Amino acid sequence: MNELELQSIWNAYDKKLEKSLKLNLKIFEDLQTSKAKSKLGSLSAIKEVGIVLGILWNLLLGVLIYGNHFKNLYFTISIGLIMLFGVVAIATYIKHLVLINEINYAESITVTQSKLAELQVSTIRVTGFLWLQMPFYTTFFWNNDWVMKGDLGFWLIAFPITLAFTALAIYLYRNITPENLDKKWVKKLMVMGVEYQHLVAAGELLQEIEEFKKDEV
Amino acid sequence: MSPINIKAQFLQLIEQNKGIIYKVSRSYGKNEEDGEDLFQEIIIQLWKAFERYDENYKLSTWMYRIALNVAISFYRKDRKRIELESPLTEGMTEIADDNSNSELDSNINLLQQFINELKELDKALMILYLESKSYKEIAEILGITETNVATKISRIKEQLKQKFSTNKS
Repeated sequence: MNELELQSIWNAYDKKLEKSLKLNLKIFEDLQTSKAKSKLGSLSAIKEVGIVLGILWNLLLGVLIYGNHFKNLYFTISIGLIMLFGVVAIATYIKHLVLINEINYAESITVTQSKLAELQVSTIRVTGFLWLQMPFYTTFFWNNDWVMKGDLGFWLIAFPITLAFTALAIYLYRNITPENLDKKWVKKLMVMGVEYQHLVAAGELLQEIEEFKKDEV
Repeated sequence: MSPINIKAQFLQLIEQNKGIIYKVSRSYGKNEEDGEDLFQEIIIQLWKAFERYDENYKLSTWMYRIALNVAISFYRKDRKRIELESPLTEGMTEIADDNSNSELDSNINLLQQFINELKELDKALMILYLESKSYKEIAEILGITETNVATKISRIKEQLKQKFSTNKS
């Protein structure tokens, strides 16, 4: 089998298709009436919903802080930090929207696919980062009486729970990475928390693109 | 240009290139149904991009870039079947029965099978090579250098030849 034979098989395939492939023209009618829907979907729609929900969530947290009149320092700091995570998530999603608008399928394959894969990898990273806010959900109800006066219930129950949540949050942050997406539990968490299932392959594709590009003689 | 002209031009482009769109779809789709979905997706994306076509690019370069980019993205995407508002009652394509040559068909199927087994980017490279595109155009479509194209093609070709030989012996 030489290269001419490979190409001649392919050309024969072409001729066969040319002769026998009939297009169903209904798709063109559907294109005209916008009934034909892209299955790649709109990545930006998901991000836009995320941004709106993020803003609403942060507004709610702002109202809570304002309603507390900064009376409890633990509440203010905890909710303030949770808000900060929200702001980071919103900013990241806005950055993603900009990136999505820059994606053009008519660009070269390595450029377009790198942008898409980087977008997905960034989604994984921000998800990992957002888990770091978890301990603050266990501290907003603390008060000075518990902390300063050595309340036994606080030191035996509330504080160890916060420590456990902190350890778990750090563990999740360090393990929810593109490299770990082949692990079942990571995959499940991503599917639960984030929009894509196809993220799994993004890290691998980025690696493939890098190898593909660097393989110069 | 009037919308009717644009549509006519687009239809002509698709008619002229239906074979390559079909082959790309079949190479990246996991099965026939998947290939049909991909075929449709490529046409939708080509249509969306058609009015913004930059005449600085060769039409074939533009078309291959979109078809392959869509195919690779589609391959990675969770492809749960999403119902269309107006489901297509028939497939996008239909292969008419002809007097087929069984040895040729078997070779075509083998070649298609081997291409399907390649990695996503290697697959794109090989399709372009088999389409007799110049190294320069392949490099432009993929975004790598011509030297890189030459090295990779020779490596993948060797793999294909070996697979063919093993399978035939």
